[in-house]
Amino acid sequence: MAELKTNDRITLVGGGSVKIKKELGRGGQGIVYLVDMNGKDMALKWYLNAPDNYFYTNLNNNILNGAPSDAFLWPKALTERQCGSYGYVMDLRPKNYFEFGNFLMAKAKFASFDAMLNAAMKICNGFMMLHRFGYSYQDLNDGNFFIDPKTGDVLICDNDNVMPQGEKSGIMGKARYMAPEVVAGGIPDKYSDRYSLSVILFMLFYANHPLEGAKVVACPCMTEAYEKKFYGSEAVFIYNPNDKSNLPVRGIHQNVIRRWPVLPAVLRETFTREFSEEMLRNPQKRMIEQNWEKLIATLRDRLVICPNCKGETFIEEDKNTCMDCGKTIDITLKLKLGARTLYLTEGTNLYIDHDNMADVQVLRDASAGMLLLKNLSPDATWTAETPSGKLKAVAPGEMMPVKAGIKVSFNQSTKGEITDNH
Amino acid sequence: MSLLDETVEIPRRTMTLFFVIDTSGSMAGSKIGAVNDAVVNVLPMLEEISAENPDAEIKVAALEFSTTCNWLYSEPKPANEFVWQDVQASALTSLGAACKELASKLSRSGFMKAASGSFAPAIILLSDGAPTDDFESGLATLKQNNWFKAAIKVAIAIGDDADKDVLTQFTGTNEAVFTVHNIDALKQIIRVVAVTSSQIGSKSSTAGDTTKQEQVIAEVKSAVDNIGGAEVASAPASTASYDDWD
Repeated sequence: MAELKTNDRITLVGGGSVKIKKELGRGGQGIVYLVDMNGKDMALKWYLNAPDNYFYTNLNNNILNGAPSDAFLWPKALTERQCGSYGYVMDLRPKNYFEFGNFLMAKAKFASFDAMLNAAMKICNGFMMLHRFGYSYQDLNDGNFFIDPKTGDVLICDNDNVMPQGEKSGIMGKARYMAPEVVAGGIPDKYSDRYSLSVILFMLFYANHPLEGAKVVACPCMTEAYEKKFYGSEAVFIYNPNDKSNLPVRGIHQNVIRRWPVLPAVLRETFTREFSEEMLRNPQKRMIEQNWEKLIATLRDRLVICPNCKGETFIEEDKNTCMDCGKTIDITLKLKLGARTLYLTEGTNLYIDHDNMADVQVLRDASAGMLLLKNLSPDATWTAETPSGKLKAVAPGEMMPVKAGIKVSFNQSTKGEITDNH
Repeated sequence: MSLLDETVEIPRRTMTLFFVIDTSGSMAGSKIGAVNDAVVNVLPMLEEISAENPDAEIKVAALEFSTTCNWLYSEPKPANEFVWQDVQASALTSLGAACKELASKLSRSGFMKAASGSFAPAIILLSDGAPTDDFESGLATLKQNNWFKAAIKVAIAIGDDADKDVLTQFTGTNEAVFTVHNIDALKQIIRVVAVTSSQIGSKSSTAGDTTKQEQVIAEVKSAVDNIGGAEVASAPASTASYDDWD
């Protein structure tokens, strides 16, 4: 055990050093210190028991390769071995980001479904990029994410167990988030990452655990042996259509009971499939991150502002009543983007691509009694073609009227058409 | 009210941390004073661990034993509601009776009735002497108890007069018996054991087949190296097995 003191100077691989300012927190593996690096405040994770050489080399490689995306609080610099251990330097977590656990404990709440979808998108994108880089994360759990409840922006931390796919960091993961095959003693890899990702997403959307229902809550004492059953060999999804033994319990699993019927059917279908016995047993069949992104994009397309209560609600193919006020929403006006349908109601933001920047805002010109589309892009000028064939440019910040038959090119590859067909 | 505003806290299982404290006459003076001081100071840490832990709510129960035994509260309490009442030392060491009393409360009709279920409890036994009653039959009763079998069990031996064989029988392994030789070490080890036991359920594990007790022992051991006046038994662990729990 090697703790550091204020004003200790720790040298870095490749030159330079950091000075310890104070302790920020401690966890299972080590202590996080606030440090000064060339006049800038940074965080130093310092291991209480230095992991082996392989871990050190891997960490160094990860630092040299850089972060897979801006979602990661990635290691920036490795310390030299000293004071009986070593550590790595990373950026500090901004104050407006809260640990995912705080959301689960209802201490932090998403400001909107828009923010919640942003968070889901950013997490999926982060893991897609991580896997694309050839890594696996290995220890995906509720402690790894910091989320801004207002915007849904995400920072993924604890990236020190990230290993090349197929290699072993020595970490198994955290109970409740480990894939059944890891619970049974297997080695974490990108396939088990995908299971953990689906658990995290389920908890993000429904704020309860997908495998914790009547069967699990009935177990008085959760021992290691029971954990192996309920999260491994005998795992049953709470809404498994073929096995009702583990349904959520009223008064205990309130969030999922309330949200499951209200959030879109496509989400229910996806989770029912991803937590089916087949997917639990066949890691390689699990949904890839790219398809999660598509699903989240679909949900986003269906998220509108209710013109009556101004709250958010999801439009479904067979349902256009507001989930809050219950009133019917006029969804005559739509933007068709290939196979996608985006509903145009006042106040709704539209996302054309998968980044977390809204591209279009739907506004109302009250005097003309007409909806408008505002170009939110910082740099892309749209080209609109009117039904009579006139071409109009819509520069960033400018607006265009919502009229059936207008075709809009948002960028080189994305072209849409406004319709009022049913 | 929107759906998001209605969000309630996710159900958490309860992890009860039991302090089983020897308050016999030999504990009088600085030993009992240190125990009182250590527990008072560890409670806010447990409160913080509980507040930040989406997996488990930490509750605390305390049983003192001398000639008789006595629970400080009639039920486990969240750390922030547990107001420590200083325990006083007097008379005999009825560890056998304490074992029986503990066994009676380790049940769903006793202390383990949390609506969302529990994790296996953690039990910390502190003693500086040897039992003066029928310890064997008390422990035999306790060892039948499934909650006890599954529990994280750690004993702190205060000084060399503590009967380490008895503490080893209680914990099931001499690896879980930590000996302290001075008051500072006693305070530190109470803190380390209580904090480590409370955190263990919400940590990522590094190996599949170690029990939570083994994980706690490993962490406490590495901490003990840094505490002057604390030591751990060097003999190998017994082959305690909880496979028969279910």
